[in-house]
Amino acid sequence: MKVQISNGMFMALIINMIYAKAIGVTQGSMAREIGGDIWIATLIATVQGAAIMFLVICIIRRMPEGDLIDQSERILGKWFGKFIALVTFLFFLAAYGPIMSTFIYHLKDYFLPEAPTLLFIIAAFLLGAYAIYFGVEVIARMALIGVFSIIALNILLMLGSLSEFDIRELRPTFQMGLIKTVWASRHHNTDWAMATIMAGIILPMVNDKKTWGRMGFAGIGYGMIFIIMWPILEAGVLSPETAAQYIVSCMQMARSAQIGQFVHRYEMIMIAFFALSILTQIMMSLLCASVAMQKIIGLKDYRKVIIPTALILSTFGYWINFDKNRAVDFLEGWWVYICHGIAIGMPLMILGLGLIFKKKLKGKKQTKEVT
Amino acid sequence: MRTWFKWLLLLSIIALLTSCVGKRELNDLALVMAVGIDKGKEDHSFKVTAQIARPSDARGQTGAPSGQTGEPILSIVGEGESLFAAIRDLSSFSSRNVFWAHNQVIVINEDLAKEGISQIIDFFTRNPELRMRTWVVITPEKASTLVSTVTGLEMIPGEAINKLFRYTQISNIAPRTEIMDVQAAYLSQSSQPIIARATIVETNISNKKPEKGPTIKQVDLAGAGVFREDRLVGILKPEETRVLNLFTDELNSGVVTTPCPSQPERSTSVELRDQVLEVTPHYIKGKVSFTANYDSYALVVEAGCPFTIDDEEQVEELEKTMEKELKKEIEGTVKKLQTEYKTDVLELGKVFHNEYPGHWNEIADKWTEIFPTVNIKVSVNVEVRDSVLLWEETNSGKKEKSAN
Repeated sequence: MKVQISNGMFMALIINMIYAKAIGVTQGSMAREIGGDIWIATLIATVQGAAIMFLVICIIRRMPEGDLIDQSERILGKWFGKFIALVTFLFFLAAYGPIMSTFIYHLKDYFLPEAPTLLFIIAAFLLGAYAIYFGVEVIARMALIGVFSIIALNILLMLGSLSEFDIRELRPTFQMGLIKTVWASRHHNTDWAMATIMAGIILPMVNDKKTWGRMGFAGIGYGMIFIIMWPILEAGVLSPETAAQYIVSCMQMARSAQIGQFVHRYEMIMIAFFALSILTQIMMSLLCASVAMQKIIGLKDYRKVIIPTALILSTFGYWINFDKNRAVDFLEGWWVYICHGIAIGMPLMILGLGLIFKKKLKGKKQTKEVT
Repeated sequence: MRTWFKWLLLLSIIALLTSCVGKRELNDLALVMAVGIDKGKEDHSFKVTAQIARPSDARGQTGAPSGQTGEPILSIVGEGESLFAAIRDLSSFSSRNVFWAHNQVIVINEDLAKEGISQIIDFFTRNPELRMRTWVVITPEKASTLVSTVTGLEMIPGEAINKLFRYTQISNIAPRTEIMDVQAAYLSQSSQPIIARATIVETNISNKKPEKGPTIKQVDLAGAGVFREDRLVGILKPEETRVLNLFTDELNSGVVTTPCPSQPERSTSVELRDQVLEVTPHYIKGKVSFTANYDSYALVVEAGCPFTIDDEEQVEELEKTMEKELKKEIEGTVKKLQTEYKTDVLELGKVFHNEYPGHWNEIADKWTEIFPTVNIKVSVNVEVRDSVLLWEETNSGKKEKSAN
């Protein structure tokens, strides 16, 4: 029987897929460009992310039994399908760089400065490969728990930092102008892009097709609610200049939070509660890349390509993150362009081709239904 | 094959997740409770004094020491061209790994602060081991002396300074500056850093020789140091610091003591509650100005002369005296900062930036020159609404022998 996940799990996957990187690494990048307006850029990116998610859901609805790659294959044949699979693989390969930056710099910089970078790569490789061997359902169930840990983290951090909050740091709004604020939102768009392309791969596994749209948007809405607190607090508590100084500004935020005299330094709390989100990112990237690899090669099961795929992604993740300068350059430069190119270009192309070859798509669908 | 692979994977995960990498045993750590930074012997070098807790001799406040050294702390000094080098120097003669995560306070000598503290800010905010809520103070004394001075009831000086700060909310004689505040102000385009100031004074009376009066030295919070960028440019006295706190912090209470109108040799103490200083910026014909409206309600907490809140005339007179006094204090401090120190620690630039972002961009680069010239109009409103428990005047019943 084909693996199916509930709509709630799908929503949880979206939330976890964006959360870990969006709350800190992304906010640091945006703060370096627009200072205290990071919360506005976060909202703008959410709207953009919702638009792409809508697009992906519309595309998959046309052929609910297959993902973006399957639909491409049906529209223009086997080789076009392989091309889209390759593009999807490259997307998750590139995504693995920033995901590992998030994972490594949270743990290594704030907890284990003496641990080698390779240790984190191997840990992610093993945990990711082990989890995706059991399939998306296992990861989705874990993501559901991840949502609760996200809520717990948000509440604890709010309690520990609100006393230092200064609303004046958020004013004036649009300090750098509307255009620069919208432009800065590209960093957070990359987080949403990971969630939307992931949705393009796993949507056919979601049970209730009628509520795909509603649950997709609910995931985006809740994701936004859980994330928006961070840029507001980072600017209001740390100050925009301080948030901009750090690669992982959420950890700096956690380092500055305290409740009373005895609960201080939230780094441990932060890592404990955000772990499920970052692990979801690692696992889903490996899963989607493995599915893409399986379709490039033409295998029936992705499990056979887990190890080679994970090895490729891990090698890339290590190469990117071994040098911090390279990691941040890639995160704020190449990754943004690769991500936007694929996350916007690929769904638009499939949507357009689907409209042009509507009869072909419909015809084959009917033929399949008759058979 | 599959089972073999699963076992291999599982064992690898177990081996990787033992969390043994970078482990540090508690017994191997020298817990730094306070750090003092002075100028080193060489030019541009640092002398770092680490006050390390000796856990066996610092059990509780009055408990008998079990380490038998009689010393709850160990102060060690290292020197180097940079802070990092000085700290490395410490490890060369510390029998344990110097551990900074429990550091409560960073003390900086004023001579060093006059030369710039950017390196200190960078070091203490860059290192993941250090807390961001660590208190920062400057001192005219040697920082090494201040961090080694046992203060109050605490056995460990770092802990004592930490507690002094915790209770300054009541006295407001020093700003509660943490390293994260100093960092934010230094990085800010519009504000300048302020740091609390501490001195050593003889305030404690020896139990063995009480007749000699206060002879035991201890740490005393005394005002604030004001900075221009990273250099210390001036000192605010404790009463001036109260004014500074009005601009930069939320103050719950404050105390004003005024002479009695009828008997100037006696005084009335009034506690100010819900103090609000609302600063409004103006930009008229290219000129920046501010109005600062102070508002508070007051309780008469001590009357050296007969006072009843029922006497409206007397209340009005007290209000006017207090308003005059407060206005003088606020204007005096503002003037000092504008004309003498020429540094915006009052966050006026930030207030203007928030209200007039467009104009701020025009003047941001020149703000240091503009700040001393801006006009700040102060108005004060105090309402005496409470006399705590007493309604009637405290007067002698024997009228002819009355204080009146």
